[in-house]
Amino acid sequence: MDWLEDELRKALAREDPPEGFAERVLARSARERSGGARRWLAAAAMVVVAAGAAGAWREHQGYQAKQEMMLALRLASAPIDRVQSEIRGISQ
Amino acid sequence: MKRLLILACLAALPMLAAPQQFQLNLDSVAAKSSEHVDVSLNKATLQFAAKFLDADDADDAKVKKLIEGIEGIYVRHYKFKAAGTWTQADLEPVRTQLQGPGWSKIVGATSSEDGGSTEVWLHIAGAKNIGVAILAAEANSVTVVNIAGDIDLESLAKLGGHFGVPKVKPGDKPKKEE
Repeated sequence: MDWLEDELRKALAREDPPEGFAERVLARSARERSGGARRWLAAAAMVVVAAGAAGAWREHQGYQAKQEMMLALRLASAPIDRVQSEIRGISQ
Repeated sequence: MKRLLILACLAALPMLAAPQQFQLNLDSVAAKSSEHVDVSLNKATLQFAAKFLDADDADDAKVKKLIEGIEGIYVRHYKFKAAGTWTQADLEPVRTQLQGPGWSKIVGATSSEDGGSTEVWLHIAGAKNIGVAILAAEANSVTVVNIAGDIDLESLAKLGGHFGVPKVKPGDKPKKEE
């Protein structure tokens, strides 16, 4: 069993990491953290911009619909108003 | 057989009370016009537009009340460069539809001075007005309006003078559009 113990001892022996390993790990972790935050920020900004654009577009559509409705009512009211006025003119 | 007839009548009732929309097939008029306005607003669009009316504005409040019972507004307005470009025959496709059951002409006015004419047709179901048709024709312009649903014509006429619509005083000659 000695050979096995020897092999295990060798395999599990404490070994120092290569030079600069800890710094490299910390730097990479920080990079990934800030990259992730940037991505989230970009996504959030896109959502805000999209929501704002959708709201503005909806408002634009609404005012356009209102203008068209007013135009339709204007065109409809003019002949009726004219006929009413003519009838009033005749009866006076 | 009698039961079938009753069922058919009952099935037809909602159709009779349905807002009256007709085909504004005025292609021949459009082809001759120099400019035209084409507005088609269904109920959903009207309701959407109504959300943008200012509740604190008196005119907007009137409009909001006016459109409450309307299912749709469909307007075709044509202008012509020269008088006599269009003929009464061009309006026949619309007039033919107004000869159908339910429609009745409540006003027909013709000006002897400029030959302009205005017709107002109503489609009444029971005691309810479910459709309005307006045909206003002058030498240089034609306007055909179809309002589906219930609208108070008195209130509609009162919109004249608002939103830039010149109010016509009794005795005034109808102005020709330039």
